[in-house]
Amino acid sequence: MSLSVLGGVVGILFFLPLLWVVTNSLRPGSETFAHLNPLSWQTFFELRPTLTNYSALLGSEIGRATLNSILVSALTVAIGLAVCATAAFGLAAFEFRGRGLVFGIVVLSFLVPFDAIAIPLSTMFRDWHLTNTFTGLVLPGIGNGMAIFLLRQFFLGVPAELVEAGRLDGLGWFGVFRWIYLPLSKPALIGAGLMLFLFQWQAYVWPLLIGTDAKHILGPVALSNLQGQNFADYGLVFAGAVVLTVIPLVVIAGFQRYFVQSVSSTGLK
Amino acid sequence: MKQRQGLIALAFLTPALVCLAVLRIVPAISAVVESFYTESLLRGGRVFTGLSNYTDLLGSKDFRQSVGVTLLFTVLVNPIQVVVSFLLAVLFTQKAAGSKLWRTLVILPIATPPAVSAVIWSVIYRPDGLGNGVLGRLGLPAQPFLTSPNQVLPSLIVLLSWIGVGYWMLFLIAGIQEVPVEVREAALLDGAGPWRRMISVILPLVRRPLAFVLVADTVSNLLVFAPVQILTKGGPNGNSNLLMYDVYNRAYAIGDIHVAQAEVVILVALTLAIVAGQFRLLRGDQ
Amino acid sequence: MRRNLFALPAAAVAAALLLAGCGGSSGANGSGSTQTADPGPDTGTITFTGTDNAETYQPVIKAFEAKNPGIKVTYTQIPFDQFNATMQQRLSAKDTGIDVYTVDEPRVSQLAAKGFLTDLSDLDGKVKTSFSAAAYKTNHFRDKLWSLPMWNSTQYLFYNKTALAKAKVTPPAADPQQRWTWEQVEAAGRKSMQAGGTKYGLFMEQPEAYYQLQPLAESLGGGSGVEGADVLTPAIETDGWKKAMQWYGATFASGLSPRGIGGFQTGPVFSNGDVAFFVGGPWDLKIFGSSKIDWGVAPLPYFQGGKPVTPTGSWSLGINPASKQQGMARKFLEFATLDPAGNLATTSTTTIIPANLDAQKQYTPKMDAFSGAKTAGAAAITAYESEHTAVSRPVSVGYIQFEEVLGKAFADIRNGTNPDARLQQATQQLTEAWRSIK
Repeated sequence: MSLSVLGGVVGILFFLPLLWVVTNSLRPGSETFAHLNPLSWQTFFELRPTLTNYSALLGSEIGRATLNSILVSALTVAIGLAVCATAAFGLAAFEFRGRGLVFGIVVLSFLVPFDAIAIPLSTMFRDWHLTNTFTGLVLPGIGNGMAIFLLRQFFLGVPAELVEAGRLDGLGWFGVFRWIYLPLSKPALIGAGLMLFLFQWQAYVWPLLIGTDAKHILGPVALSNLQGQNFADYGLVFAGAVVLTVIPLVVIAGFQRYFVQSVSSTGLK
Repeated sequence: MKQRQGLIALAFLTPALVCLAVLRIVPAISAVVESFYTESLLRGGRVFTGLSNYTDLLGSKDFRQSVGVTLLFTVLVNPIQVVVSFLLAVLFTQKAAGSKLWRTLVILPIATPPAVSAVIWSVIYRPDGLGNGVLGRLGLPAQPFLTSPNQVLPSLIVLLSWIGVGYWMLFLIAGIQEVPVEVREAALLDGAGPWRRMISVILPLVRRPLAFVLVADTVSNLLVFAPVQILTKGGPNGNSNLLMYDVYNRAYAIGDIHVAQAEVVILVALTLAIVAGQFRLLRGDQ
Repeated sequence: MRRNLFALPAAAVAAALLLAGCGGSSGANGSGSTQTADPGPDTGTITFTGTDNAETYQPVIKAFEAKNPGIKVTYTQIPFDQFNATMQQRLSAKDTGIDVYTVDEPRVSQLAAKGFLTDLSDLDGKVKTSFSAAAYKTNHFRDKLWSLPMWNSTQYLFYNKTALAKAKVTPPAADPQQRWTWEQVEAAGRKSMQAGGTKYGLFMEQPEAYYQLQPLAESLGGGSGVEGADVLTPAIETDGWKKAMQWYGATFASGLSPRGIGGFQTGPVFSNGDVAFFVGGPWDLKIFGSSKIDWGVAPLPYFQGGKPVTPTGSWSLGINPASKQQGMARKFLEFATLDPAGNLATTSTTTIIPANLDAQKQYTPKMDAFSGAKTAGAAAITAYESEHTAVSRPVSVGYIQFEEVLGKAFADIRNGTNPDARLQQATQQLTEAWRSIK
């Protein structure tokens, strides 16, 4: 009981700043900073909420941008997980010379900050005519060294006896990967998927560098475009932010139950 | 046998290696190349200058301060975040009512657009903002937060932890769930106290995800720049001038891509040294 | 594994060196494009890239399309914080997807030096007569014309009427001849904090921006802060700069102005009634109109014993040399700047001053009524400042570094760092930053 109280307090503390955002998305932008000091209940609650900010969003690019972001992120997760999981399997299930070296390359690739290589990379993409295409937006997200690293860490924990038993049952290596490793690693796969998802969901510099026409605009860019040069209507911006936060929320909440599934509960062990 | 295994492994690895090579390593090499050039606007054109971008950087007081700030930040932020994420992970894997809901709330900040997180925290840290409002209600004196050279780094650490610990907690939860329930329950029956159980039973079992979280968290913290860019611009007096922000500022705001790339090379070398050190440490642990 | 982790960067560096040997990248040629460009097709679609909301340019685009059947204009918005960087990258890659783009005036020299602007010198004569001398000059670099001025700006002193009345202070007059000094503003601001119920006395909209603070130093004869034949020699340790910055730092140290509030959060401090005096631009004439407080507008103050100086300049329009539709791009550019009707259309949804003098004549009188009686006098102030007190930002290829270095210095001074020492440090930083582009 006391544990759920503690959990509740922690959860609410983390949520408070976001509650402030939600509250202000339900207020005219001119009142955003009106209840800061001294602190009062009005800081976090609005008795006469208005949906004007949300209806104003309908006239902006946010709707299309959100759909584009969903498409780009979904493609990235699907392709990225296939690429990263197979690679992690190759690094975890086999003994071969140079395994350390390959793993080193993978680790190294994620030490290079993406924002630092985005400029030369965008020049390459322009030469390949990938500007203003969904391919150009999806590609940089699929080879993710960190996701490979994460999956490998989990794959290393798969007991060798299981693999041997599977091989004796006549499973090929792909079968071992598909029927033994993947089912055992759902939490790690979700973690890796989330990593790939967030990378794309929050991509901002990259979409700008390779060109953002109205057809391919993504969420964070559209959100930024809600601010003018000399003025920001934070009511509107926060409404946009709520829309862009709700989708990851749904994804995270939806996958929660798989986290409870442990190796022991899958009945394989 | 080993060679055959190598070939099969290679088959599984090929798609990822191609992606990493094309999307990361080739542009990284071109970044390294650019770091040996300079561009003169008065004379015009791009000139090979050897190591002069590097020597200029190392000779600059601002740059040396930036390295110092980055190292201090790294030493502080990572242990804090890893410990807090671990504690949260343990808390939210206990059988308790509503734990899934609370867990989701803790993860939520990572889903918030970074630009909006920065606005939220600028409002919390304003002298007349939410932070001092809360302190005032508790009868505590107002704090300068981001405008003070001494408080700026701790303030950034709190902000980044709000964003990040839920995310890292997720990977640790996945790890803890991997620990068979029987093991966890056996420890319970042994009569081990909650702290002992945590240290002696759970900690060793989540060693692998913990290693991942430590390394990945360290790397991602070395690459932080958005809150610095929006909230402090490296100030006051350079006390929050993290290297990655400096790189970003040079490359994107000032447009001096050559020196920026030299700085990236130094930043990656630094990251590499730190991560290598962590691997060594984790290995010695075994 | 440990060993390999270290072995790898060495290999990468070796490979990089190898590549560098045969590196033949086609960078910018550094001298701007001077060849007479192929005008391209007469009809089609051109792309116009800027950083304002799309609605801002709908009127001018509509008017242009009506006048030029067969030419369509699509507008692409890039967020302000990423605008310069994104344009830099796309222009250097010779992106043909940009025809016309907005140019921040102090950046004209750098963009021209990098070859990112089409030479427009054949329009020189027309530009000279259609725009102010300051605007004419800032769009030139090395005796050539690179962009055409679209907008102009200035700064006003906004004051909270209710707060001043409560403090029994007569508000400043709108007449530029009765301009207040900063000393007067400071004293009145303090009175308002004591008796008028405002938290602060004075606040500036962009408290860390060179645009906003240059007039302080220039008012005291401190100069723009940069000098020399190549305009790459720092001069920010003059008496004027030191005095201005000491005064500026003190306004924060004494609590007259608030620390730690920036970005888009400065305006709301005034519109929520928390400050007596606020320094802001023409856009605020409309933005503050929706606030609940009662306010008025007066000319920008100057220092006692100094001279009145106001900031000026805004966005210009330029053409991407890589554009394959130079002819159509130029038509649009001329319409939006040189044609008074077109220029006026660029300002119809936002309150910014058109740069074209004929357009200005039609536009300025309307400024008096932007927010009813509150904005009375704004028109006369605007006309007076542009003729008598406006001082442009320096034209230098090193302007970007200049703005960046000074912005950080202003921020530190605001937070309590010693102004003299900080200006000295900034001189050093500028010398360092400019060494590489000389």
